[in-house]
Amino acid sequence: MSILNKIRISGICCLTVFSAAAFSVTPVQAADELNALVWCDHTDPALIQPFEEKHGVRVNLKEYEGTGTALAIVEQSQPGDWDVFVIDGVDVPRVVDAGLLAELPANELPLDDVFEQVQMRDVTMRDGKMYAIMEKFGYNVVSYNKTKVDPADMRDLNTLWSDKYKGRIAVYDYYIPLMDLVALKMGMKPSDITADVLPKMKEALFQLKENSVMVGEVVSSTTALATGEADILIGGGEWAVAVMQSENPDLDWVLPDQGGILWSQSLAVFADSKRKDLALEFVKYVMSPEGQARLATSSCFWGMPANRKAGDVLTAEQKQALRWDEQATFLKNSHRYFIPDADLDAKMLDTWTEFLQH
Amino acid sequence: MTVRTDLTALLRQIPAVAYALLLYGFIFLPVLVLVTFSFQESRVPVPPFDGPSLQWYQAILEDRRLMSALANSIVVALVSSAVSVILGFLAAFALARFTLPGSKFFQGLLTAPLTVSYLIIAMGLLITFNEFGVPKSLLTIGIGHVVINLPLCFAILYSQMGEHQRNVEQAARDLGANEWQVMLLISVPMLWPALFASFFLSVTFSWDEFIIAFMVSKFDVTLPVEIWSMLRSGLNPKTNAIGSLVFLFSFVIVLFLDLVVFRNRKT
Amino acid sequence: MQGQSGKSRGWALLTPALLWTLLFFMMPLLIMGTYSFWERAGMKLVRSASLANYEKFFDKTYFVGSLVNSIEVTVIVTVVSVLLAYPLAWILAERVPRRWQRMALILAILPFWTSYVVRSYSWLLVLSEGGIISNFLLDVGITADPVSFANNRGATVIGFVHFFVMLLTLTIYANLVQLPPSYRKAAADLGAGPVQSFVHIILPLTLPGIMVGAFLTFVLCIGDYITPQILGGNRELLLPQTMMLQISRRSDFPMASALAMILMLVISVVYIACARWLKLDRV
Repeated sequence: MSILNKIRISGICCLTVFSAAAFSVTPVQAADELNALVWCDHTDPALIQPFEEKHGVRVNLKEYEGTGTALAIVEQSQPGDWDVFVIDGVDVPRVVDAGLLAELPANELPLDDVFEQVQMRDVTMRDGKMYAIMEKFGYNVVSYNKTKVDPADMRDLNTLWSDKYKGRIAVYDYYIPLMDLVALKMGMKPSDITADVLPKMKEALFQLKENSVMVGEVVSSTTALATGEADILIGGGEWAVAVMQSENPDLDWVLPDQGGILWSQSLAVFADSKRKDLALEFVKYVMSPEGQARLATSSCFWGMPANRKAGDVLTAEQKQALRWDEQATFLKNSHRYFIPDADLDAKMLDTWTEFLQH
Repeated sequence: MTVRTDLTALLRQIPAVAYALLLYGFIFLPVLVLVTFSFQESRVPVPPFDGPSLQWYQAILEDRRLMSALANSIVVALVSSAVSVILGFLAAFALARFTLPGSKFFQGLLTAPLTVSYLIIAMGLLITFNEFGVPKSLLTIGIGHVVINLPLCFAILYSQMGEHQRNVEQAARDLGANEWQVMLLISVPMLWPALFASFFLSVTFSWDEFIIAFMVSKFDVTLPVEIWSMLRSGLNPKTNAIGSLVFLFSFVIVLFLDLVVFRNRKT
Repeated sequence: MQGQSGKSRGWALLTPALLWTLLFFMMPLLIMGTYSFWERAGMKLVRSASLANYEKFFDKTYFVGSLVNSIEVTVIVTVVSVLLAYPLAWILAERVPRRWQRMALILAILPFWTSYVVRSYSWLLVLSEGGIISNFLLDVGITADPVSFANNRGATVIGFVHFFVMLLTLTIYANLVQLPPSYRKAAADLGAGPVQSFVHIILPLTLPGIMVGAFLTFVLCIGDYITPQILGGNRELLLPQTMMLQISRRSDFPMASALAMILMLVISVVYIACARWLKLDRV
């Protein structure tokens, strides 16, 4: 009797397991789907849902960090798996080279409404054809806690290398903008970086390492700033503090006198996409003033909308947090991400890895 | 027993009690912090605590991606654990009850994944799925979780298949039971605690496994992966809330099992 | 029963698990091994065998350095965890009344049902400047200034030890409760003091439990990416972090595969060293 009882119990358990499995393994297929490879700011329902509802489709989002990861994902997929691609602005040329992107109809997109310095036609266009459009931008500069440090000091990158804030600095872990900032500190432009100056940059990085308390990606570096572990985040910017500013008004950011590094992200459609029309609709939606405002204030990170007309949709507080009115000065004083060729890129990453390991 | 010996006995317990409390404190410290700051009022879960507020719990219940990741995690954990236990049981039964040539070798082979880091297993699977063009989904995550849990289930079940059970099984065979009846009606009930333990352990490991799920998933992800990407945007009490909720659920399940299932077994 | 039909039935029962292991464990390892001899050049995978990746490993100080760091951290974690877990397992097995033991064990495992990723971030809130410990020390007056314990090797070790103390407590406890109490009584009857009885009787008998737990700790710890990534503050790199760098920044799977192979080699050496305690016995 008791054996039978136990069997019954185990039977019920198994049954529950398998019915649960059968129940939820069948995915709910929407009428049409769009597969997008994106940065985390595109996963905010406030941005995606209006598009899904309007077109009666489902947008499948796969988020990634680092173009290397994205390219690996694309390589590992079947042709036609992906429709929309959100990618680091500076990486557009090499993706175009690889033949991954489809041409976009320039006349259907609000390219002229995009801030002039952000249009970057030399990057997004090839032989008169447009392959991507910039959608959001911001700065890799210096974020800090204004109650803990002297804001005036933050305007000079050299202070971060002096002893004054030793042990108070966090470093954002992305080698391109950080090495660009180091170049500015050394009195060069990012585009002056060559294999020959890398040994000197390495020295500067090692000095920075000795002054810093940690090197971290987005979460750990912003956490360090929020907990007071660090008072300064080099490589930070509006993306690192805007979300937290309402809670912690002491956090601020500044463009150093040496200049800032401009980050940008762009939208593109895959050449192999089987739903190019819908993908284009998505691009148009994100580039519309409403889409741009939602993207700019996405829950993942804030950043300036590329389309100027988003200014009509954003609230005054949002514009304040984004420093809308100061953009003209900021843009004038910033440099784009330096785009190294594959060989130099590998060498820069080598240097950065040595910096991490130092 | 005099009062004095009673007291010395008690005093001798103090270091042990203190040590246990200290270590339990260490084990619970991050969890207490986690739960506390899930009730944080502001959107930065760092001290000082300014709650209590339930808004983050409401926020996670409304988060479509998080909820579907939760469902995915449950499905992957239950199904992959069931497969692991079944395959592990069959293999253990085969090696414990039949004299097969090379059985030592097969034991080694089946337990080999225990000696390899998850990261290596994850990379190997990723490269293999890519080579053969296998699309990544919950299924591929499940396959990976069976790889890590099967050796565990096999090892536990194999170690519990003792000789005394063999005699009972032989008796059943002598009475005319066929092999399936022996397995289902005799071996399974006798091994019930070990089966349960291996299932429970498998669920635990699958539930919390990150790197395999991270590497071989596409749109449908499990909870740890979704939490990892939620954290991309910086700390948020939502992650504390989902962590606490999961903790609460497991607490209730474990308590239920302890009070209902195990108590019943004794009577 | 042991006839030809019995044997084929045995094979039939063994086959599913065997196939799974061969298909989804052995084959991926072989493919990864092959990959490690290939190369990544720009956007392309060059499928011709060479030792370039292994040469690069010994060439770059940061590769060798990250392996050394990994081994150091893992050894520290394993030793500290065993030292902390053994007394706890002992207390649970010997001092806690039988009927409370299971509850005490469940209580020890319970925190590990919260998500691993979130738990690691919670440690950040505990350890960092302005965190729980720092505030506590300030309140008590032990320090005058906020102190930080996060973003260094110590934090990584604490995060790891937290998990592995639980694991080792379980394996050592399981070993301790299997010891018949008569052993200790016999030792006492023969005039052995508590220390002698522990060193000569109990410790050797619980060595299998320690070694099983320690080996598991070693394997899980040396291959973990999350804990050092979150708590280590990139002050130094561990091997899994270097591996992930190869993938996420360069999508250089061949190099990452070579690193994985080297990691497997290290684990194999440790396995061989521990092998005599890791036998699979039936009751």
